[in-house]
Amino acid sequence: MIWRFGLFDSTFTPLATTHWALLTVLCLPLLMGLLAALFPPKRAWPVLLASAPIVAAGLMLLFAFNDAGLLRWQWAVADIQLSLRLNGLSVLLLLTTQWIGVAAALYTPGYLRLSDPGPMARWLWPLMGTLISALSLMWLATDLLTLYVALELMGLAAVGMLLLSGKAAALKAGMRYLLLALVGSLTYLLGVALILGHWGRLDLQGLAEIIEPGPVAWFAAALVGAGLALKAALFPLHAWLSPVHENAWTPVSALHAGLVIKASLFMLVLLWSILLPDAFYAPRVIAWLGMLAIVWGGLLAWRTDSLKTLVASSTVAQLGYLMVIFPLLLGADVAPLPRALAWEGFWLQLMGHAFAKAAMFMAAGNLILATGESTLKGLAGTSRRLPLSLLVFGIASITLMGLPPSAGFTAKWLLFEAMIITQQWWAVAALLVGTLLTAAYIFRMFRYSFDESAPRQRYQPLAPGMDLIALTLALAAFALGLFAHYPLGLMHGGGV
Amino acid sequence: MIASIDVVEVALALCLTGTALVCLFDRHLLRACRFFVAFAIAMALAWWQLGAIWLASAELLLGAVLTGLCCFYALGHVGSSGSSVLAHDHFSEPWTRIAMRVVLALVWFVMVAVAIGYVLTDMQHSPAEHPLLLAGVVIAASAMASFALHRHLLRRLLAFNLLGSGVFMLLAGVAGTTPTAQVLISVGLLVAALGSMLGVLLIRQLLHLQGVNALDHDSGPKESAT
Repeated sequence: MIWRFGLFDSTFTPLATTHWALLTVLCLPLLMGLLAALFPPKRAWPVLLASAPIVAAGLMLLFAFNDAGLLRWQWAVADIQLSLRLNGLSVLLLLTTQWIGVAAALYTPGYLRLSDPGPMARWLWPLMGTLISALSLMWLATDLLTLYVALELMGLAAVGMLLLSGKAAALKAGMRYLLLALVGSLTYLLGVALILGHWGRLDLQGLAEIIEPGPVAWFAAALVGAGLALKAALFPLHAWLSPVHENAWTPVSALHAGLVIKASLFMLVLLWSILLPDAFYAPRVIAWLGMLAIVWGGLLAWRTDSLKTLVASSTVAQLGYLMVIFPLLLGADVAPLPRALAWEGFWLQLMGHAFAKAAMFMAAGNLILATGESTLKGLAGTSRRLPLSLLVFGIASITLMGLPPSAGFTAKWLLFEAMIITQQWWAVAALLVGTLLTAAYIFRMFRYSFDESAPRQRYQPLAPGMDLIALTLALAAFALGLFAHYPLGLMHGGGV
Repeated sequence: MIASIDVVEVALALCLTGTALVCLFDRHLLRACRFFVAFAIAMALAWWQLGAIWLASAELLLGAVLTGLCCFYALGHVGSSGSSVLAHDHFSEPWTRIAMRVVLALVWFVMVAVAIGYVLTDMQHSPAEHPLLLAGVVIAASAMASFALHRHLLRRLLAFNLLGSGVFMLLAGVAGTTPTAQVLISVGLLVAALGSMLGVLLIRQLLHLQGVNALDHDSGPKESAT
């Protein structure tokens, strides 16, 4: 299992150029964010100009990985060994992060111009930069210390961003999120303390070799898992999620639901595959909770009156799909074929959902901005006046429902195959129920939007490109499904 | 074994536990904040005692000075004009809630104690010889309990800070004060200080917007959800 995360020694030492690409990927988002705080961009083109080198460096790393396979950089600072690695999965997640980040950044100037954000707006840029840098670091990290630093940077930046709208409800939800996130990271730290105390090292590769199942590993896995599940809003710990999104700015919601939550989940899978290599119960408990999450999140989204709560609750349900796969990823006695299929399906579903959910939040934000109302009833008549925003919402929801030709469909196809081979019928049932519930709440939303009986007069015109950016993200989720062989090839460690 | 216990360490452990308990369970918020500063100073002394000078200075700077100032700022005693509205925590909890939270805290306490005491036989400092480690367990458990119990946001913030200190103490106890552990704890201290600053700014802003009742943790999200 652990080789899939690229935790082994590389064949070639990385070229000097990749050092520069790495530096650009890790530091430039932060620097550009600080620059944008000093000179807040009013249009999208300066943002495009600033993000070009970052995306170029990301692509350079992709090509370097294609040429040389696993890349591993190592430094020694004082007594502490630092190392970063880049495997196929890291490249994919890195590119996903960068593209969603760039899309959110491009969306921001238009959004801020229209929504009268107040004096705090300029702080959005450095926080966004920090978030992208921290996420990039997390995909590359090879030890628990770096992961902790990245997790904390990401968490604090995310909380800061969610607070910027400055409304009392946002502050209250943000305070709750802040306290829970901080306690979650302390729980994680306690788990790390157990690992450090018992095995005396923090590098993942070394730990994977020496960790043997036993009470220490179980306790550490439980503590680390509880902390990360809290941060990832996994089912019983999801209550903070909807209020936080309800009041946040659109690009912030897109980044948070698309990337931040996924990062904690990534760490959970990574650390559990080291701590609990062949556990029986722990992944099954997660899977049962995942089934509840699918049903509960779907019902919440179905019953709500607010558009943003609908999108946020749908995140809870979609995370449930990922939780259901845990026994196939981590459980004992899974044959190589279904495990490989589950591995592919998991990450494809995660990335497809990241793109689709970012697009959906942007589409929902556009609808709310244009109509001035945040309830579903307020959407009446939008089908004639705002067809493009609705279209984006629809394309994004195709991915969430898992209809062809989206990434959601390809991922579910792989997952079904894995589940049928291992005869996990309850998981198949959960996936089917989830699809039906998703369709139910999506069509409920569309029923309101096609209501022609309440004609509205005034719509706020959107800035050029706001719909287009959301559309691009939604179509990216399609492309990920149609050309799935390329990311799947990368995930298996080889080139194309 | 008893003879090997250092008197200074026992005194420090008692001091830490005492200040922490007062800080956590005193409804008079200004006094609680003062005891928090005292706790942070005792914590710095404890790091010094454990031979981690760097951590001692970091704790003094980040914990005592920075977080202490933050708390007093939240109460309106630094910077802006003093406001007496925050002197007491008036929110009361029904006893069912208290009972439930106490049970939760006990479960947490037992889990941590079992994990530390029973599992880690080969740790750097054994709890029987190091009362500071025992103090860490007690502080972490009671801070977790009061974090779950209190509804006042400032008290929850204080409880989080104490929980952090307890966890760092445990970390140093099980892993020793090796360079790696020190780096880990320093990052944790920095994060806790940044989080407290963010939280305090939030509390001031909430007070400014809605008054004292906005600091009741349970009232907010449910109202907005309906």
